[in-house]
Amino acid sequence: MTEKDVSRRHFMGLALAGGVTAGLGVKLARLSESEQNQQLAQVTKAKYALVIDTTKCTGCKACVEACNLRNDLPEGQSYIHGRVKGDEHLTWFLMVQCQHCANPPCATVCPTDVTYVRDDGVVLIDEERCVGCKYCVYACPYDARVFDEERGVADKCWLCLDWVLAGGEPACVQACIPGARTFGRLDDPDSEVSRLIASGRAKRLHPDFGTDPGVLAYVIDDPVESE
Amino acid sequence: MHHEWGWLAAIYLFLGGLGSGALAYAALFELTGRRYEGERCPDICPVTLVGATTSGPLVAVGVILLIFELGAGLRDPLRIPLMYTHASSVMTWGVWLLTLFIPVAFLYGLLEIMHVYPNVQDWTIRRVGALRHLSLKRVKRIVAAVGGVLALSVATYTGVLISAVGPAVPFWSTPLLPFLPLPTLPVLFLISALSTGEALTVDLAATILTRGQAPRGRREHFIHLGLITGEAVLVGQLLAHAFLEGGAAATSARDILVGPHSVVFWVFIMVLAFAVPFVGHVYAAGRGRHQPSTGLVSGVSLIISGLFLRYLIIVSGIHAFL
Repeated sequence: MTEKDVSRRHFMGLALAGGVTAGLGVKLARLSESEQNQQLAQVTKAKYALVIDTTKCTGCKACVEACNLRNDLPEGQSYIHGRVKGDEHLTWFLMVQCQHCANPPCATVCPTDVTYVRDDGVVLIDEERCVGCKYCVYACPYDARVFDEERGVADKCWLCLDWVLAGGEPACVQACIPGARTFGRLDDPDSEVSRLIASGRAKRLHPDFGTDPGVLAYVIDDPVESE
Repeated sequence: MHHEWGWLAAIYLFLGGLGSGALAYAALFELTGRRYEGERCPDICPVTLVGATTSGPLVAVGVILLIFELGAGLRDPLRIPLMYTHASSVMTWGVWLLTLFIPVAFLYGLLEIMHVYPNVQDWTIRRVGALRHLSLKRVKRIVAAVGGVLALSVATYTGVLISAVGPAVPFWSTPLLPFLPLPTLPVLFLISALSTGEALTVDLAATILTRGQAPRGRREHFIHLGLITGEAVLVGQLLAHAFLEGGAAATSARDILVGPHSVVFWVFIMVLAFAVPFVGHVYAAGRGRHQPSTGLVSGVSLIISGLFLRYLIIVSGIHAFL
């Protein structure tokens, strides 16, 4: 992430997340990514989860719009892409973004070691190391890496981490009109995301890819797809 | 927005294969002593002269194309050295391999030129006096051996780079044998690199530079028939395994055989990579040497099909998730 970009993101974070987060946000903006990581690891031992209930998703793409606005993404580019699934009897929408894998292939293939997994499960990138070879874009089995032509780097969903660390929720969760997106802490067994995942109702997408998706899980009610 | 590899990637993978294959062939001739057996040798051997001198520039052009495809690295070249640092990335291995290969290939080319043109040798020795005490032939053998090993590695790497994207594009990581998690592409690209390398050095250079008096000997033609057959078997098993795997890999195989890429497959691979050079080499093996026509036709069709093979593999790769 460039300095300008960090401050822009944090400025937006501050404006929207309110005064409570202001102190932390300003602190974050002054630190490098690795320093933030170290400092915040001491603050929280959290593990995050984002569950998307496809039985509630209407495909309205409010999440996409909110994400694009939040991250100031150029026209035609998005961290979230939607797919229409099902058949003539049942149509549903699968909104896919970075799954924040515990074993991310985009990190393994990267020649400059840009991508890293935080202790809380969130996968971030150190944009200043990126040469823009696009190898991660090809290697991500979820097609979740986005190449930003303007900056020449391969970007992706960062789970609006500044808001999350300040106690808020990612933009896509806040914007979801039918309430299909539930965000919470996986280290809290009473949280809704923990219950959804523990009950087996929410499942990881394509565990067969072997990437161990860490943060995202989906409630899917399609007999064909919910294998 | 999903980025796709296309012609540019096909071209640099092809140049990597052609350059490393040419050097591998020159090194084979040098190390087996075949370089000194030709009719006009020991002075000029077209196989080693062309193989050694073209390999460095061909691979270097491929690397330049690769660098021009970079995003932020092109604008801020100080980031490029970071590409040497991440050992888990096969691209990092490739960057190291290419960094070692290119200077060795250029050195081999220079030594071969010095061998063939004594005035270049005299000129060089006049400027670098220390060279006077070295045996040119011995140094050249060492450089050819090191270059040969690096060449085989670079040729294999061009396939490893594509297959290492793993589950994202199942067709590219189709295994060599059932239940063996070793991808086919590195072996296929290695064999194809050696085949295009022989097409450049033996079929074209040794036929054209000797004005049709190509050196006698059936050995090269039998080796080349083996390479062409091996490549055909590997392409066949790649498609068969892709069908067995099902899903995106099977769709890729279907696209190649009967779908949107079938013209490229049947014309540029089946005819130009297999049928034409096979017949040409059987004829040449029977006559004991290439005729100008068989050398030219086999060489040109193999080089064109080498480029199309890489293009076909790249464009037929279907993302598992799309």
